[in-house]
Amino acid sequence: MVFTAGIDVGTGAVKTVLYAVDGPSTRLISKRCDRVRQRDPLKLAAEAYDQSLEAAGLKRDDIAYCATTGEGESLGFQTGHFYSMTTHARGAIELDPASRAVLDVGALHGRAIRIDERGKVVGYKMTSQCASGSGQFLENIARYLGIAQDEIGVLSQQGASPEKVSGICAVLAETDVINMVSRGISAANILKGIHISMADRLAKLLKSAGTKDGVVMMTGGLALDGGLVAAMRETCVKEKITVEIKSSPDSIYAGAIGAALWGAFRHEKLSMLERKAA
Amino acid sequence: MTTLREINERCSALYEDLNFGYAREWKAAKPGRKVVGHMPFYVPREIIHAGGGLPLGIFGGGDQLEVIHGDAYYQSYICRIPRSTIELAVTKRLDFVDGMLFPSICDVVRNLSGMWKVMFPNVYAKYFDVPQNYRDDIGGTFYINELNELREGLGKLAGRRISDDEIRASIVLFNENRRLVREVYAFRAAQPWKAPAADVYLLMRAGMTLAVEEHNRMLREYLDAADKADARKRDNCRIVVTGAFCEQPPLNLVKSIELSGCYIVDDDFLLVNRWEQSDVAVEGDPLANLAHAYLHNSAHTAAKYEDTEKEKGMWLVDSVRKNRAEGVIFACPSFCDPALLERPMLQRVLAEHKIPFVAFKYAENSGQMQPIREQAGTFADSIKLWSVQ
Repeated sequence: MVFTAGIDVGTGAVKTVLYAVDGPSTRLISKRCDRVRQRDPLKLAAEAYDQSLEAAGLKRDDIAYCATTGEGESLGFQTGHFYSMTTHARGAIELDPASRAVLDVGALHGRAIRIDERGKVVGYKMTSQCASGSGQFLENIARYLGIAQDEIGVLSQQGASPEKVSGICAVLAETDVINMVSRGISAANILKGIHISMADRLAKLLKSAGTKDGVVMMTGGLALDGGLVAAMRETCVKEKITVEIKSSPDSIYAGAIGAALWGAFRHEKLSMLERKAA
Repeated sequence: MTTLREINERCSALYEDLNFGYAREWKAAKPGRKVVGHMPFYVPREIIHAGGGLPLGIFGGGDQLEVIHGDAYYQSYICRIPRSTIELAVTKRLDFVDGMLFPSICDVVRNLSGMWKVMFPNVYAKYFDVPQNYRDDIGGTFYINELNELREGLGKLAGRRISDDEIRASIVLFNENRRLVREVYAFRAAQPWKAPAADVYLLMRAGMTLAVEEHNRMLREYLDAADKADARKRDNCRIVVTGAFCEQPPLNLVKSIELSGCYIVDDDFLLVNRWEQSDVAVEGDPLANLAHAYLHNSAHTAAKYEDTEKEKGMWLVDSVRKNRAEGVIFACPSFCDPALLERPMLQRVLAEHKIPFVAFKYAENSGQMQPIREQAGTFADSIKLWSVQ
């Protein structure tokens, strides 16, 4: 059995997981998510890693492979780094082996990744430059409306007459929201409208990435937003995309999970090559 | 002992100095000294050195120079280096340069040599024509004549005839330089975690500015210091980067490739100091020796004619094998006809040998590295996770 670590340095949060891996058997030992909140993400990641190890009764030397993903390549102490699409793909398979696509919606962008049963990326599409399909945008709007982040999903699902917002530009979308507030539209309907707009864009990404059926695992920070998940399901029905949209309580850790598990895979592969060379 | 940090800082300062302070000081230190610039391609630097001159590589403006005047001289579909080179000249950053050599690498550089002659009639400017025929009796004869013409031109600049003995002495120094450069590359291929690609790149760029004697000292110091470095080995894949050879990639591109999970174990960023692949003979006629080395012992590049299809791209396959690389990244300058026309031929050869590759383009002032990181990162992942070893 070996211990591996996955550290996903995202724009909004740093996610750290520790795994015990014994052949095909994997066990999540610990997980933690630290919001960046204007701190140095790399310093935060190093602290979170050391605290995770301490809580698990482990030392850095006990970790066979420490893998980073996201913006973590500059950390310095990692064994290796994997690109975030690769890790989200593997993380989705760990969360649900039936996953054949990933919708990764983070603070700065969204992307649809088509994967096979091994977690190999076979196609992908990303949102373009604009932030209106991202968690950062949603966070800003919630702040303008005076709503806590964990209320967004619940409120959105109460919206009965959603007002659609611009799906192209965050600036136009924010203008739309200001107009809605002045017209007395309820926060629930505004949030539902934003979720529908985001879901429209994400559904288009899914389609253009070539996803036609199967389980789509939502990952990234917004996978925990029940309002967005519900809007995604409604949009897929409306657009006749016959997929099953899923989310897991651990969806936010998908990148870190994937990094830790690919780390275990690489550790095994490198050990095998060393044995072969000897 | 000089530390790695001190060497890196010195190299960075030389790289960033678009006023060429070192070369200006070198020239001012002794009356009569001449500085001869050359575009980023092979020129026989030995002859410049033998005439008491300083060969100075002019590698464009990089990502720090705003091109204002240079754009007026070239169409939008031409690469960036001639524009930034013009910009350097018209903003008087090259006003101390006594001569300029334009190696026969492409039409754009040929046109630049003509423009130089018109714009700076008092500066010695030569379109340096290298042979594309590799027979000693044809290309060799032509090239020896070309070298003689260069010797005469540089002799006029120096105010004296450049002797055979002076050229031989310079060949000895540049042989030493090439040996040390090869040692650095071999060291990096063996322990790439101790010799980051960006550091090696800057070290080589320093050699395009410094006097060869000083660069030789620096290379020795680097090898000593890098060997003692306490650097952590990462699980990166080993790749060869090819396709640059003239317009240089921004330093951030080199760093981004390595940060994405790739160790660069060989590259053709600067072919000037790796052109002759072993020592140039010292005994006998020095110009004949330089010609022989050019014809029979020089690096392969898109700007050099390959007379047998069978041999096409085999140097790249050999580099992959020799350096135990797992893949190739083609990083070519945008609008560089030689590099971009060569690329599909090389890709075909790699595909035939089942060597994975990925390709992207850059300009010397490219600032957005996210797409590069994505491509290099996914390429590295695909090698690490899915290659059959």
